Amino acid sequence: MRLKVIAYSILIFLTALIQSTIVDSIKIYGVKPNLTIVVIVCVALLRNATEGAVIGLLCGLMQDAVSGRAIGFYALLGLYLGLVIAKSNKKLNKENILIAIFLTFVSTVVYEYVVYFFTTVFRAPLDFVYPFKNKILIEAIYNSVISILVFIIVSRIHKRFEEFEKNSRRY
Amino acid sequence: MLRLFKNKIFILISSTVVLLIVIGLSAIPNGKINYVGDIFSTILSPFQKFISYSDKKINDFFAHFEDIDKLRKENEVLKQRVDELVYENERLIDLKIKNEELRRALDIKDQYSTMEMVGANIIAKDMGNWFDIFTIDRGTRDGIEINYPVVTSNGLVGRVMQTDLFTSKVIAIIDEDSSISARLSKTSDIVVVKGDRKLKDQGLCIMNYIPADADVSAGDRVETSGVGGIYPKGILIGKVKEVRQKTNELDRYAIIEPVVDFKRLEEVFILKPKSINNNETSEENK
Repeated sequence: MRLKVIAYSILIFLTALIQSTIVDSIKIYGVKPNLTIVVIVCVALLRNATEGAVIGLLCGLMQDAVSGRAIGFYALLGLYLGLVIAKSNKKLNKENILIAIFLTFVSTVVYEYVVYFFTTVFRAPLDFVYPFKNKILIEAIYNSVISILVFIIVSRIHKRFEEFEKNSRRY
Repeated sequence: MLRLFKNKIFILISSTVVLLIVIGLSAIPNGKINYVGDIFSTILSPFQKFISYSDKKINDFFAHFEDIDKLRKENEVLKQRVDELVYENERLIDLKIKNEELRRALDIKDQYSTMEMVGANIIAKDMGNWFDIFTIDRGTRDGIEINYPVVTSNGLVGRVMQTDLFTSKVIAIIDEDSSISARLSKTSDIVVVKGDRKLKDQGLCIMNYIPADADVSAGDRVETSGVGGIYPKGILIGKVKEVRQKTNELDRYAIIEPVVDFKRLEEVFILKPKSINNNETSEENK
């Protein structure tokens, strides 16, 4: 349990740190990837629903802290993203990296549309084609590529956890 | 098992409700609930500072090799320019002294003179792709407060939107949530400069509410008007890039090219009222 808390806090902390600093200098067509979504999807896919939801919530809280807007918005989104992905993982082959890539793509599109909808609906006319063409599609592809790397890292952590759990059960 | 399941749903619903309440409460600027965010950003800020600093140093190091040739040529050109400017500067100092004397004679209050400039580095950017908000390494400890204007040596950058102990968040003028009362330097017409979601990607913003009789053309300078109380009068915002018409002659808007390059922004200045004036205004507020 203690190992989990430490590993996850380091993971979340590093995600937020990298996302708010280095990621800004690797933009493609002025769009940067969103590591938070990728991390939430990978963790939720490999681990269970509780962990997916908690990681989603905490990643979202970090994003809220850096964004300087309403606190809780990204946290709520992250919570449900982690929960939905983790609920669906029972029917899927978890270890398959293609599923991680596909799920990252789909979640990015849904997630960013939700963010776009809630930040725009009360002040400007909605336009669903422009953000998709210029932001969401590029970001989703970029995220999918990055998910390969993140998936490898998270699956290492996952294996370490499983070994640890097995050992602690045996004794 | 069933009870556990029910229990989990209960946890889910209650955490959702709590988060919704938190979202509502955090709409109050610098309310108590924002301390949650403060804790996280205070923990993050030293690391962000370190990374952005080393990032800059590494870039500088590599740029060093590329630039030697370029710099030699540029140096010659610049030396000439310095000579020209030294001459011009001497002339301007004369004018400045004269100007100050005249201002004193006419008793015009200069809004800039009551301000103090505080330098700051940008240490982090917003995580998503939708907003243009960045974090700077000055906070309430340095006397920064909400709505202080942020500038560079070129012109206006934005305003402080949230403050923590060591850091603050600045909203750029190209962000959708930003809206500034501006003035056309040529004709003194009051207009509104706003951020626009589509133009933001190119680092531009939009100018609305142009008076029907105003003479606007490309290349006109736009500066802050001083109306509204956040930005002092006369900070350069940018130049008109293009005037467009929506349906008829009266209903038109213009695209503004800010003088600040938001893609390559690293250091900014915060305009802070000087301490003596600060005391006066805070007493007035009470």
